[in-house]
Amino acid sequence: MRAVALAAIVVTATISPLAAQGSTAELLGQAHEFYERLEVERALPLLRQIVSPNWPFEVTREQRVEAYKYLGACLTLAGKRDSAVLFFRAAIERDPFTELDPNLFTPAQLATFGEAQRRTFAVAVRSVEPARVDPRTARVRFTIVATHAALVDVKLSAVGAGPPRSLVQSTMDGVREITWDGLLADRRLAPPGRYALAVAGRSRLTGTSDSARVYFDLRHEVAPLEDTLPTLDRGALLPERISPEAARRDVAKGLGVAAAALLIAGAANGDLGGGEREGAVVVAATAAVTGVVAFLVGRRHGAIPQNIVANARRRAERDSANASVRGRNADRIAATVLLVSPAAGEGPGP
Amino acid sequence: MRAAGVIVAAAILGGAAPAGAQRALTVAPLVSLAEHRVDAGFGVERSLGPIVGAVGTLRVGPRVEWAVRAVGGRLIGSTGVLDRDVGELGVEASVVTVPWLALQAGAARRAYSTKLGRQTWTLVGLGAEARMAFAGDAIHSVWRAALLPAVSASGLRGPETAVRGATGLEYRVRTMTLCVEYSLERYDFPAEAGVRRLEQLSAVTLLLELRLR
Repeated sequence: MRAVALAAIVVTATISPLAAQGSTAELLGQAHEFYERLEVERALPLLRQIVSPNWPFEVTREQRVEAYKYLGACLTLAGKRDSAVLFFRAAIERDPFTELDPNLFTPAQLATFGEAQRRTFAVAVRSVEPARVDPRTARVRFTIVATHAALVDVKLSAVGAGPPRSLVQSTMDGVREITWDGLLADRRLAPPGRYALAVAGRSRLTGTSDSARVYFDLRHEVAPLEDTLPTLDRGALLPERISPEAARRDVAKGLGVAAAALLIAGAANGDLGGGEREGAVVVAATAAVTGVVAFLVGRRHGAIPQNIVANARRRAERDSANASVRGRNADRIAATVLLVSPAAGEGPGP
Repeated sequence: MRAAGVIVAAAILGGAAPAGAQRALTVAPLVSLAEHRVDAGFGVERSLGPIVGAVGTLRVGPRVEWAVRAVGGRLIGSTGVLDRDVGELGVEASVVTVPWLALQAGAARRAYSTKLGRQTWTLVGLGAEARMAFAGDAIHSVWRAALLPAVSASGLRGPETAVRGATGLEYRVRTMTLCVEYSLERYDFPAEAGVRRLEQLSAVTLLLELRLR
């Protein structure tokens, strides 16, 4: 019992100061309030607490950058310019997009911050925002920054495939927006996949280099494509030549009709004296001759003109249909929309 | 009696419409040379003559076809036999069961008239038509057979046996089909007073089928 009570006292004694100090956001809010009231001496300890390795609460990157920025601002107001520059540099190193709003900060603070920017060289590229871009009418936009004047080379490449395409290669200072038309170095629409935007810069003030890289996924939004008609196989085409067996069967068919005609005529029994047997003979002879002629024609020529014509028509219809399908598919592909979404891997370049 | 023969010829001609044709609507004018033989106990009476008419065919589906036929003509009697005029109107349905075989059912109304009187026949038939293509598909052989289970003729008892058979060829040239066919109908009537009446109509027919649509 005594051990439990002692533990409770220890825990309570430990938690209470932390609870009094509040979370990082609360402490940062308090520091802001002190700063706004120009109570710099009261703001500084709070800000130092946040950036201290001993601060027990989680500090986000944005909060840490904010704390460093306000440390620099406070120290500038306190007349400690060198320290202010250091904290401003710390903020810039962690987020090269860090900037001071001229409406909220004094000229001295802005000057100090500018000094920090000149002493610190970093390039960065802002995280890619999800976007739906029609490459015919719009562009994919990226935002890059160089903390001071630098020669910057921005390249875009498909991860693990193909040569990179250089988007920008020029001198810049500060934030700049660049656009991409969705094409790769071969001037073809970028295929779906993972892409990397790499920014490499060399300071024109210090000669130092820095790089950054951001990854994003690219997908295509395209209307479903139609399948073309399959190749006409033998089952879909009529025979274009008469086989010898078929020619022989024609003789049998002709003789079959002839025999049937004579058989029907013969079925007219004798009590009626037949039934226009001459007509039956005429039909029988016609059928027999037809069979023999069909056989001879089949053996000699073998071609079946109407089937050749019919097959040619079917092939032409298929070709025409496929041409239409290909045309519609080409139109749909031309109307492809690019879907951009951020991917893991953001950070400094190699 | 004479009218019965003509009616048979007309029925045969009407049946010449190709059941397997792929046309939606066709019309087929026809001409036939028909011979009518009757033995009513006084020896065989023979009459012969041309019949003309037409068959209209409407395909209403991949397997079903309707045909309407109208024919008429004059049969010239042999020595001592009266000439007669004949006319017929009939309808027939065909159902393709397999590509080479169609089942058929039809009914027809015929009229024979001579200078002595007029006789009308009503015929109901059930049959089948088989078609086989020659190599190249431009020529078809045709076989037809039918039973006529319900036949009535004014002034006569119905026949005990009534059958119809036909065979021929079809030649297709572009959108036309020329048919040549031999056909025969046979009617055996029950004996009355020791006399058994027999009738037979045979015909050779030429039919030209024209596809309209």
